[in-house]
Amino acid sequence: MAPPAIEADGLVKTYPGGRGRPLVRALDGLTLSVTAGTVHGLLGPNGAGKSTTTKVLTTLSTPTSGTARVAGHDVAREAVQVRRRIGYVSQGTGADPLLTPRENLVMTGRLRGLGRSAASDRAASLVDRFGLAEFADRGAAKLSGGTRRKLDVALGLVGSPQVLFLDEPTTGLDPEARAAMWAEIRRLAGEDSLTVLLTTHYLEEADRLADGLSIVDRGRVVAAGTPEELKATLAGDTLTVDLVEPDADLVQRVAAAVPGLDEVLVHVEGPAGRLVARTPDGPLLVGPTIAALQAAGVRHGAVAVSRPTLDDVYLRHAGRAWTSAEQTLEVAR
Amino acid sequence: MNATVSAGWGTQLDQVTRRWVTDSIRQPWGLGVAVVQPVIWIVLFGNVFQSVAQVPGFGHDDYLTFLVPGILMMTVLYSGAWAGTGFIEDIRSGVMDRMLSSPVSRSALVLGQLVQQLLICVVQGVIVLAIGALAGAHYSGGVLGMAVALAASVLLAAAFCSLSAAVALLVRDQTALIGISTIVVLPATFISTALMPAQLLPAWVATAAKFNPLTWATSVAQTAMSSDVDWGIVVSRSLWLALLAAVVAWWSLRAMRSYQRSL
Repeated sequence: MAPPAIEADGLVKTYPGGRGRPLVRALDGLTLSVTAGTVHGLLGPNGAGKSTTTKVLTTLSTPTSGTARVAGHDVAREAVQVRRRIGYVSQGTGADPLLTPRENLVMTGRLRGLGRSAASDRAASLVDRFGLAEFADRGAAKLSGGTRRKLDVALGLVGSPQVLFLDEPTTGLDPEARAAMWAEIRRLAGEDSLTVLLTTHYLEEADRLADGLSIVDRGRVVAAGTPEELKATLAGDTLTVDLVEPDADLVQRVAAAVPGLDEVLVHVEGPAGRLVARTPDGPLLVGPTIAALQAAGVRHGAVAVSRPTLDDVYLRHAGRAWTSAEQTLEVAR
Repeated sequence: MNATVSAGWGTQLDQVTRRWVTDSIRQPWGLGVAVVQPVIWIVLFGNVFQSVAQVPGFGHDDYLTFLVPGILMMTVLYSGAWAGTGFIEDIRSGVMDRMLSSPVSRSALVLGQLVQQLLICVVQGVIVLAIGALAGAHYSGGVLGMAVALAASVLLAAAFCSLSAAVALLVRDQTALIGISTIVVLPATFISTALMPAQLLPAWVATAAKFNPLTWATSVAQTAMSSDVDWGIVVSRSLWLALLAAVVAWWSLRAMRSYQRSL
């Protein structure tokens, strides 16, 4: 079997807290292994350590302790070897706004050692492949969000990398542009020998694109596997009840008393609320749950039973981060 | 295609320089200001301080001829103050991170931008000399004198642009960079012989001015463009400037590494 394209072992990264505050521990013993030729998702709420992981693996940042190898080379001791074999698409743009997309691509090719004609051939083929022909010779500053993001990915591919890092590639894109980017990433995934590390806080994105997933929370990987494996760790169903002006404590008490309802979570936002619980047999528990809620005088809306989704996996493993992750979850729906 | 090759250092420097040159050409406002600023100074200072030439002990024929070398160096200082802003913009936008994660030499990133600044400095210098001549300044030192003056301005620019780049990479904040530059540039202008000969300056200013690189560069240009060139001053002050430029350029390379360590 081929060695993993990415191997991280016990990565720790601390930053000074500033003004005498304690160190910020962005990574806290993160361990990761990514099979060559796959798309791997790093999933987690904002501030979980996804971007820091990417910065360490792309040699931008030096880990405080721990080791990592990317494309067969150590990120700390053989940084230049790693840089020659990777492409990095950061959360910002990588393109010079005053140059045209084509100029950006050619310059990147030349900096990576392509000759004059090889660099312009490479630029032309990437322009073609990402459908940038119409925009290729206009200022990059005038591109729409989706087109600029395509250019960013194209820039990451100029050096024909073995490993491509995509840091939140669809954040801030409208649904149409996001769908286009997903199609693009799926095409990349089909390419021989290209490994993609995708960081995202969109569960749907991870579910659709990733062959393997690592859920990151507070600087550690809290769960890893294929999306299917992760869902399978949650046996049974999820029972969801929409609530109207709920008293969270009351609902919590009532639901916890229903035999067969586990891991009860009550989430309140303004006048609306939601009860989410796990149960070995969803359909069977709908009746008793509703009866108990009505007996306690809780008003409710729709009731749903669903098979486990990545949302549930995410909640289960990064559940402590619910408050910071909740908006993310809303957006992802 | 071989993914593991990387470009030679010369190619990298060339590409980085080209990028910044293209950027500056596409920002006509920046270029326009760079040209208009020295024009305003020559007209303004040339007229306001005209009567200084009548003060006993001035020691030069006319104020404008005395002033042009000073304006040449001031132009370098005021343009150079902005040199670091390109790096701050790159850090903010993400271009810097992409560059640093690619096999591009850190020194090519820093020096490529410096070369572009020096090219701008030469263009500005030629414009300053041309405007000075139009306004009536005399360059007795001829073409050689003007070339020496431009070379001195390039050395001063190398030092000052590197300083701006180093500060930019360390503070990473546009407002702070401009603030710091202003605090340095304005006193540096007046505690020098750029606008007033040393013998007319108050004693403490004249003493302080001796340690000012702006004075060194101005002295080189003044004597080189005069009819009686003091080559001792040209050589010694140029060496001091070159040494300073080398030290500050080295510091700006260190600042790039320090930026990366902060990531």
